[in-house]
Amino acid sequence: MSDLVVDVLTGAVRGGTAIMFAALGETIAERAGVVNLGTEGSMLVGALGGYALAAETGSPWVGLVAGALAGGLLALVHAVMVVWRRSDQFATGLTVMFLGLGLTSLFGAAYVGRAAPGFDPVPVPLLADVPVLGEILFQHDPVTYLSFAAAPLLWWWLRSTRGGLLLRTAGERADVLHVHGYRPGLIRGAAVVAGGALAGIGGAQLATAYAHAWFEGMTAGRGFIAVALVIFAAWRPLWVMAGSYLFGAALALAPALQARGESLNQFALDALPFLITLAILAILGRRTLRAAPEELRRVFT
Amino acid sequence: MTTQLTPTPVASPLVSPGSGFAAAAGRWAGALAGAIAIFSVLLLAKGADPLATLGDMVVSMTTGASLEQIVIKAAPFVLAAMAVVLPARAGLANVGGEGQVIIGAVAGAGVGLVVSGPAALPLMLVAGALGGALWAGLAVALRVTVGVNEAVTTLLLNYVALDVMLYLIYEPWKDANGSGQPATPPLAIEQRLPLLGGTAVHAGIILALLAAAAVWLTLRHTAFGFRLAVTGGNPEAARRAGLPVARLLLTAMLLGGALAGLAGVIHLAGIEFKLRPGLTTNIGYIAFLAAWLARHNPLPAVAAAFMLAAITVGGDSLQLDSGLPAATVNVLMALILLAVLGWTAKRSPS
Repeated sequence: MSDLVVDVLTGAVRGGTAIMFAALGETIAERAGVVNLGTEGSMLVGALGGYALAAETGSPWVGLVAGALAGGLLALVHAVMVVWRRSDQFATGLTVMFLGLGLTSLFGAAYVGRAAPGFDPVPVPLLADVPVLGEILFQHDPVTYLSFAAAPLLWWWLRSTRGGLLLRTAGERADVLHVHGYRPGLIRGAAVVAGGALAGIGGAQLATAYAHAWFEGMTAGRGFIAVALVIFAAWRPLWVMAGSYLFGAALALAPALQARGESLNQFALDALPFLITLAILAILGRRTLRAAPEELRRVFT
Repeated sequence: MTTQLTPTPVASPLVSPGSGFAAAAGRWAGALAGAIAIFSVLLLAKGADPLATLGDMVVSMTTGASLEQIVIKAAPFVLAAMAVVLPARAGLANVGGEGQVIIGAVAGAGVGLVVSGPAALPLMLVAGALGGALWAGLAVALRVTVGVNEAVTTLLLNYVALDVMLYLIYEPWKDANGSGQPATPPLAIEQRLPLLGGTAVHAGIILALLAAAAVWLTLRHTAFGFRLAVTGGNPEAARRAGLPVARLLLTAMLLGGALAGLAGVIHLAGIEFKLRPGLTTNIGYIAFLAAWLARHNPLPAVAAAFMLAAITVGGDSLQLDSGLPAATVNVLMALILLAVLGWTAKRSPS
């Protein structure tokens, strides 16, 4: 039994990392007042960009950078549309997702079934030998270790730096920025692009460290889960981190049980992360909206 | 800008105030040309000849057989686009067309498994509409009771719907006699939609056009349609005027879901005949694009649905002729919508 718990928790970290990067990215965009449903698309292009560049150059690190660029570039489309052209955020985001879906199927066909170097687990010296915790936390790929730092870093940045303050003001009271001579549109646009880049890193991690493969539509809704996750994590990076591992655990439960000979319905388990998300949203209900950045609340209601 | 109460008007750009018809037409032409230009650059990057590819698409859209294909594809698109248009009038974003289409098809197939004879087809249609309404109802119930945004929940429900269908296909409803890809047993002849005249087009298109006309009439000429528009324009004002806002939102979304469910069941009973993985091929998402292309006006949305159906059919030929994946045209669709969303409306002051 304790074996199973360790397996699921290890899998939670393994599977939650991609969602966490995407959700942290979405946190940045939403704290600045923009919802980006295109996060799903940014993850997809990040996954393909990361996998393709890893295959072409032989270095998964180059792939990771390419994934970030691809995700950021796709998010730039969303930023231009909603910030400067003032189009509807939900419709634009979904269209951007669809664009990512089409682009990756156009350019990705060549990489289906092709091998590429990926990130392999690197046990952290000493820490990996700590009983239980070592296995759960310190026997992962390098990108996962980066993610351990990413959430606290974002929390600190939003809370304690001038940049973080400007970003939060863009999401709470854009007028104040105007008065002080800043351009809220520019800050929002930058936030959306940075968020897309993080989603791209999440996608690249998914392809090069988690699945070690590229296939069409491989993110399978993880980007949308990330968007929902940000809402019920009340736009706080550390809660986003915890929530991501909850989904990682939901994803890891199936293989862990199957490995022990339990026969479970695959599709019921596939639906589990989505059902959990819906249940949490339903339970928290209006309470989440109270924590929403002011400018964002207008988008949501 | 924080105190702006009324959202940007959703009037068609063709009649937006202060701009002539010529200017609007010019903007549309510019937007389309821009989208096609970017698409061509992407084709070049992929190593395909854009002129030849686009030419192929246009030629393949205009043969007799493919005209029939376009009408067949357009039928569910029209219905699923109405499923976006109707809730949008009340200010709701129904992004769950895909899931509602799937559940509609599942409900129809379920009835098809147990009911035979002449009553089967009407019952399947009803079941499909109810299934779609139920699926949309889950999302809108969360919206009106606990205030969860419906765009997020409808999206999540799409994936749940897909898993429900896959579960049924792979386990309880699997056709024991089928070979290859798992699927449900095919519908009996009397459970299928009849064909029109001597064509390959099934009767679903009639149903779709009737539904679109009904949506247009409802929105344009009934008190219910007016109340929806008031609610969508300014929910607070609607509440103070004594309108039952929650009930209006609920009704609009349930009707929308029913239309999407109907789209699923006519897709099943008109052309597919059995549930299979990949059944819906993004019908819900493409219809969402169509509804936005038309800025939620029902009759232009029908035209947009036909246009996107034509592009889809053109995409199928790409796969055969140029070896490009059929989903390539998704890029073109998305680019067209982005161009139209961003560059044809009068820009709101910022």
